[in-house]
Amino acid sequence: MFRTFIDILIRPGAFFSGMMGEKEESFKWPLVILLAGGIVAAGYGYLLGGATGQMMSGAVPGIGMIVTLFSVIGAFIGVFIFWLVWTAVVFVLSMAFKGDGSFKRTLQVIGYGYLPQVIGSVIALIVAIEYVPKIVVPTITSAMMQDPAAMQQVTMSLMRDPAMMELTQITTLITIVFLLWSANIWIFGLQHARKLSPRDAALCVGIPVIAYILYMIYSLGVS
Amino acid sequence: MKIKRIFTGIALLLLISMTVGVVSAYSLLNEDPVSGTYYTGRVFVSNTTFDPVVFFPGDKGTVTYVVTNGNANTSIKLTHGIFYDDDFQRISDNYDTSTTLGPLQTRPFSFTILADGPEGDYYPTFTMSLYDSNLNYKSLVQIDNTPLELTVVDQPDAYIQGKKKTINMQVANPRKNNVRNVILEVSGAGITATPSRTFVGDLAAGAKVPVNVSVTPDQETTLNLHLTYDNGNNPHEVSLNIPINFGVDKKQAEPVMSNIQVTATGTTYRVTGDVTNAGLETANAVMVTALPPAVPEDPYKTYVVQALKPDDFGSFEITFTTDGKATSVPVQVSFKDSDGNLYNTVQNVTVPDGRISASKDDGPPLVPIIAALVIVAIFVGGWYFYLRKKKQ
Repeated sequence: MFRTFIDILIRPGAFFSGMMGEKEESFKWPLVILLAGGIVAAGYGYLLGGATGQMMSGAVPGIGMIVTLFSVIGAFIGVFIFWLVWTAVVFVLSMAFKGDGSFKRTLQVIGYGYLPQVIGSVIALIVAIEYVPKIVVPTITSAMMQDPAAMQQVTMSLMRDPAMMELTQITTLITIVFLLWSANIWIFGLQHARKLSPRDAALCVGIPVIAYILYMIYSLGVS
Repeated sequence: MKIKRIFTGIALLLLISMTVGVVSAYSLLNEDPVSGTYYTGRVFVSNTTFDPVVFFPGDKGTVTYVVTNGNANTSIKLTHGIFYDDDFQRISDNYDTSTTLGPLQTRPFSFTILADGPEGDYYPTFTMSLYDSNLNYKSLVQIDNTPLELTVVDQPDAYIQGKKKTINMQVANPRKNNVRNVILEVSGAGITATPSRTFVGDLAAGAKVPVNVSVTPDQETTLNLHLTYDNGNNPHEVSLNIPINFGVDKKQAEPVMSNIQVTATGTTYRVTGDVTNAGLETANAVMVTALPPAVPEDPYKTYVVQALKPDDFGSFEITFTTDGKATSVPVQVSFKDSDGNLYNTVQNVTVPDGRISASKDDGPPLVPIIAALVIVAIFVGGWYFYLRKKKQ
């Protein structure tokens, strides 16, 4: 298993060449990877959701716990939703290049390619454990609930907290690095899953990835 | 006939009246017209008054002897009223002329005198020549050099430039007589005293009165306390000097903040804590507020803790915003002492940087953006060259 993961990370071309010999798609390891990613993401969501819940706890009693809970669940489920959506995007793009291969195979490939992001999420979680306690969370009072401008100001205040901003910048960079690593795996995987040339596979994967990364950089700049 | 009787009666009454007048005129000669007895033995000094009652050495004053004729029917002829003593110099003249003192009448004889002698008890003599003898009279008068006592009952441990402090004093009269026009004057270089001149008035023997003076020194100096008073009509004075040195008042109130908690409510900081008076005097009108760069905001721009006795504490709560860059905010505790002087102490309270960041705008974070773009460029470039190489 360890060797399998090493092959995915370092030798994705060879890994997917071997995998394509299998007649049926196995979702065992993709699901393990995504489950691991979901758990790590849930931990990250717990930390940031706790801060957000703390911010809102002054407005409605008990809402802090609810916000935290939703953050954890949302982060966990979000990994699987991302998996499906991302697979769909890549699959549709590959159709433009006359890709030939099942959606399940593409889903399997994208699942394997999520492995670097699990590593990135672990690093991001460690960074968050270090930074989140430094965030001083403003409180939204019940009176502010009647004033959307005040609530927005408080939310912006949380987002512009120095610790929060540093955390955001670091995790964004980590996400970009490991997303590109995943993209590298997806390109090789998509060549085999959809029977595309390396160029076409690179375009199918690279266009949405680069677009997503540019959006993250833009968000970093305006936050 | 009847009219003649009336005139005879009137003539008789007039005759009787003339006879009594002759007898009365004869009695002025100090001698009973019937028995020939002299009545000077019933002439005496009924009262003696010294003003002042007790002299300082060198004091001028007056002595008044009241001579009384104790005879009910006999007038007395008086001559040569004389005052003399070795230690009291008589300044006014003696009474050289004769005078007559009617029955049961009194007459004062006053002399202006000067106390020449040292402290002690004296018995100056007053004599009066009568018809057949002399009246000699001695009375006690004292010369005492004990001045009024000006004492400082309480004063601050130390003075502070420009701060008003109260000095509690006491003026006491240890003498055996009253003194008048007691006035205390306070002066000194760079000193503002309130009141600078205090009129105490008369001070009875053995009495004492408190006098409080507030002084505001602008420099280290000597405070001059000058007490003047009149003993009779003689002015006297007592002086006292108090050094005014600047320093720290060991008993001064000392509010100390503790248990400080900073929370951010919306875009406003809320700082709560306790103020404890660690000094030995009461801190009045204790107020807590934030100083720049903080901007005090409602509802607690300033919190009035009110008065704090020694070891007492009170809670406070203040609210403020910052410019979003401050990492600590000076919080000021002000109080007034019993003289109304305002004191300030400042303690820095750490606040999270950027908490009120609605106004904070340092621009986009260039370093991470550039780093991200470089990473993307490396990835795209790598794949470009990989594909190009593979194509060849």
